Amino acid sequence: MTTSKSQKLSASFRDPSGFLFTRDGVLYRQVNQAYAADYARLMDSGLYAKLVKAGLLVPHVEAGGPAGKEKPFPPADPATAFKVLRPERIPFISYPYEWSFGQLKDAALATLSIQRRALKAGMSLKDASAYNIQFYQGKPALIDTLSFEEYREGEPWVAYRQFCQHFLAPLALMALRDVRLSQLLRVYIDGVPLDLAASLLPARSRWSLGLYTHLHLHARAQKRYAEVAVKEARAGRRMSRQALLGLIESLRDTVRKLEWKPAGTEWADYYEDNNYTDSAFQHKLSLIEDWLAKIQPKLVWDLGANTGLFSRPAAALGAYAVAFDIDPAAVEQDYRLVKANKETLLLPLVLDLTNPSPALGWHNRERAALGERGPADAVLALALIHHLAIANNVPLERAAEFFADMGAYLIIEFVPKSDSQVQRLLRSREDIFPDYTRPGFEAAFCTRFEIQSASDVRDSERRVYLMKRK
Amino acid sequence: MLWITGVLYSVLNSKSFYLDPGSGSFLIQLLIAGAAAVTIAVASQWGRIRRLLGKKKANPEQGDDEDDDDEQEPKA
Repeated sequence: MTTSKSQKLSASFRDPSGFLFTRDGVLYRQVNQAYAADYARLMDSGLYAKLVKAGLLVPHVEAGGPAGKEKPFPPADPATAFKVLRPERIPFISYPYEWSFGQLKDAALATLSIQRRALKAGMSLKDASAYNIQFYQGKPALIDTLSFEEYREGEPWVAYRQFCQHFLAPLALMALRDVRLSQLLRVYIDGVPLDLAASLLPARSRWSLGLYTHLHLHARAQKRYAEVAVKEARAGRRMSRQALLGLIESLRDTVRKLEWKPAGTEWADYYEDNNYTDSAFQHKLSLIEDWLAKIQPKLVWDLGANTGLFSRPAAALGAYAVAFDIDPAAVEQDYRLVKANKETLLLPLVLDLTNPSPALGWHNRERAALGERGPADAVLALALIHHLAIANNVPLERAAEFFADMGAYLIIEFVPKSDSQVQRLLRSREDIFPDYTRPGFEAAFCTRFEIQSASDVRDSERRVYLMKRK
Repeated sequence: MLWITGVLYSVLNSKSFYLDPGSGSFLIQLLIAGAAAVTIAVASQWGRIRRLLGKKKANPEQGDDEDDDDEQEPKA
């Protein structure tokens, strides 16, 4: 067998247990010899099967084929290799700073549930990174098969600090201070520093025993023992299994009690307060459904998706739809719908299009920028262009350039100046947008796209277009 | 507290962590976990006493039945 070139994923370098690589466009995970015993325990204890059955772990197959009938499968690094796995691929990798409150909370609870199940099987999570959780078939699941290690009676939880920084601190800040503080995760790649969280949290957070101990006291202990070695600080103290389960239970209880309700934000009432009559809305919906059926996309990015009204028709056609919106309340509502309807092909995410997620982490290569996670087969940009062109002064040519980078097809709506939503934007500022007209819009977008179809939306002044990238 | 009265013989071992667990984080979790274990033990005894007195039915949440725990979503 000739081996094509393997390419290590740049985010996969911290854990010496193994790493991810791609070959011929397929994603693989090399398990190193150092992890052989723990891998065998994960599989033989039944923990793997239980977690996969519960939807808490992304399944994999061994790349060489089933045990007993293996064919040689060349690893990416033969010197350290034990096995190569082929994990099921996640359609769209998202990051915790793109999740709504409910998504981060469910990811935290999933992590604790995995840890409890692992302990029952004689294993423990050796990390609790929010980046190891992805939304898989609508629910949070662990993607890192190599996160488990043998549990040794008496040992504390090595990932406790990471859990508090990646999950508990941002959740508490979002629930008790401001939901937008999730964006601290964009600055702090290893989670929100606990001393920062403690200083930002309101005084009433101390009345919660869980938040007082896991965040406030924890932050003080970190400061006090910063210069002390772990072994020295611990002085031989053991932590019984029952105590460890108590710790997990306490974390679970603390996370569960954190609540945030999506109300009173800018888009919450959008569909009750816009320029659409029922017939206009139905007409727009049917046009979009027809075009999606025609182009048959596998991956759709709905930019400015609100609560996913137009993402759902894409998912209904079998596409994986990522529904981005700047408003955390809209994304939260969308995620609650995903849960309530048990939708598996829709992923709501928080994203500010005027400042999309950048490349982050070591060498700027650990967390991919939005554009690096594409291109999508189709991009939806409905009731969006006026926000970019007028509220954010993006020239229409630059908007076209951006959309052309994001996807092959574009379904876009032009909202004219006469529309009340545009008038609202212009109310507080001077109209410096002489080119913001339908001909101006078409001319700008024709530099990058070919208009394949266009239609006025019935009973409105808006027009929708199906465009294909040139 | 369990952690104070706990066995002090050394379990310092050769295990190496790829994450820095943090000294303060290790200590604080010993404290919290000790207290949480006591709470759980008391709660389970309390439940047992109440059941013995016929005051309350067994509470499934207090059992040791994590196998079917599903805190994310009720199963269909």
